[in-house]
Amino acid sequence: MKPTLTEACQQMPLTCDGAMGTQLIERGMKIGECGMCWNSEHPDDIVAVHQAYRNAGCRLITTNSFGGTRSMLERHGLGEKVAEWNRLAAKLAAEAAGPDGWVIGDVGPFGDFLEPMGDTSVEELEAIFREQIAALVEGGADAILVETMSDPGELSAGIRAAKAATDLPVIGTYAFQKSAGEFRTMMGTTVADAIRAAFDAGASIAGANCGTDLSLEDYLELGQQIVAAADGRPTILQPNAGAPKMIDGEIRYDASPADMAELACKLRSIGISIVGGCCGTTPDHLAAVAASA
Amino acid sequence: MSTFVELSRAVEGGKRNDAKLLTQALLEQGIKPLEVVEQGLVPGMSAIGEKFKNNEVFVPEMLIAARAMKECMAILEPLLADAGIKPKYTAVIGTVQGDLHDIGKNLVAMMLKGANFGIVDLGTNVAPEKFVAAVQEHGAQLVCLSALLTTTMPAMRTTVQAVRDAGLASVKILVGGAPVTQDFCNEIGADGYSQDAASAVNLALRLAETY
Repeated sequence: MKPTLTEACQQMPLTCDGAMGTQLIERGMKIGECGMCWNSEHPDDIVAVHQAYRNAGCRLITTNSFGGTRSMLERHGLGEKVAEWNRLAAKLAAEAAGPDGWVIGDVGPFGDFLEPMGDTSVEELEAIFREQIAALVEGGADAILVETMSDPGELSAGIRAAKAATDLPVIGTYAFQKSAGEFRTMMGTTVADAIRAAFDAGASIAGANCGTDLSLEDYLELGQQIVAAADGRPTILQPNAGAPKMIDGEIRYDASPADMAELACKLRSIGISIVGGCCGTTPDHLAAVAASA
Repeated sequence: MSTFVELSRAVEGGKRNDAKLLTQALLEQGIKPLEVVEQGLVPGMSAIGEKFKNNEVFVPEMLIAARAMKECMAILEPLLADAGIKPKYTAVIGTVQGDLHDIGKNLVAMMLKGANFGIVDLGTNVAPEKFVAAVQEHGAQLVCLSALLTTTMPAMRTTVQAVRDAGLASVKILVGGAPVTQDFCNEIGADGYSQDAASAVNLALRLAETY
C-alpha cells in the first residue's frame, strides 16, 4: 500500500501538478465558461491534462474542482451538481494518477466573505465545504487541498470541514501578494499568521499557491518565510510561471521550464516539501521541475 | 466632537449600529441628508481608503466600513430621492466578459459610492455592448472595468473599443484589477488605471471633472 501523502512528503521530494484552467482554454474551453462542467462534458480532455502532468513526473494530481462548491456553481445556476461533478472530478484525476500518484481533491474559495465582512457564517461556510469535500472523498481523493485562500478564517473553515468529512491528509495554501515589501494575503494576513492558522485548524501540510505579481525571486523569499512559519512541519509551494508581463500587447507568464526547475531546486534546498505550479505553468514546466528533484 | 466627526469615525471604524444612530441623530437635528453624506459618510470612507492605500488596514476593514456606510445610505437614499437630489457623477462599473471575479470591482463600487458617485453596477461577465447600453441609458461620465484573470484582459480592450465606437468619446474609462498595469491601460486606450480602490476614487474624481 502506498504511504499517505503526509508520510511520503517527509521522506522524498514530491512534485504537484500545474495549471488546469489555461490547459482547458487551449483545448477549447471558452473564457468564463464553467470549468466544472468539463468534468462531465469533456472528461477525455480532463484526463488528458491530468495524464500530461502525470507523465511529466507529477505524483500529485489535482482534481478539476476549483469552483466546485455549491456557492460557486450557483453562479452558473448549477448548484445541484455539486455531488455528481466533484465525485466525477476525483474519478478522472484517479484515472491518471495511477497506483503511485495521489489524487488531490481541490477546493477553492467559496466566492464571498465570512461575517462580519460578508453575510456568511462560519457554520454555513463549513457546510458548503463539507458538501464538496464529501463528494471528492467518495470519488477517490487521497488528500484534500484548500487553496488560493486569502482569509485564514475561510481556509480554517475548509480545513475543519475536511477533517469532519475524512481522515485523509489536508493541505491548506494561500495566495500572497507583496504590499509595502511584505508578503500578505489580500485580506492583509502575514505569512506567519496564515501558516499558523492552517496548522492550528488541522492541516497536515501548508503553504502557498498562485500570488499576485510575484517574481521567481519573490517566491524563493516567500518559501523561506513559509518554512520558518511551519517550524518543521511539511510545506508546499506552487508558484506561477513568474509575474505576468505584457509582450506584443498580450499578457504572458514568461518563466521558462528551466527557470522553474532552478527555483524548484532552491525551494527544496530551503526545506519546501512539495513543489508544484500555478498560473502560466504547463506540463513542460512541471516536467523540468520534477526532473530537478 | 461634532456629530459629523463621530459619524465619520463610526463609518471608518465599521461600527454600523453607531453609524446608523448618528445618521438618525443628524437628521433629527434638521441636517439635510446631502450634508450627512458629504460631511459624515464621505470623510469616513475617505479616511479608511487612505489607510488602505498606505497598507495600514486591509480589505476586511474596508469591507466593514463600507457596510456601515451602506446601511447609512439606506436611510439617506429615499430622503435624497424625495428631495430630487442626484449624485453629481454617475459611474457604470462591471467585471469584463469572461471574468466572474467581483471582489475588486465591489470594493471600487463601494468606495465610489462612499464618495457620493451614482453607481450602476452591472455585475460580472459583462459584455461590451452592455457597458455601452448602460452608459447611454444612465448618461454616465465614467466606465470602470475590472479583470482578475490575465486571460480576460483582452476583453478590456474590446470594451474600450466598443465604448469609443459607440461615439462616447468623452466618457472616461478606468481600468483596474490584479494583472492590470498603467502600460496596459495606455496600450488599450483607457483613460486611467489605479492600483487600489482608494486611488480609484481620486482618479475617478479627477477624470469626472474633465468630462
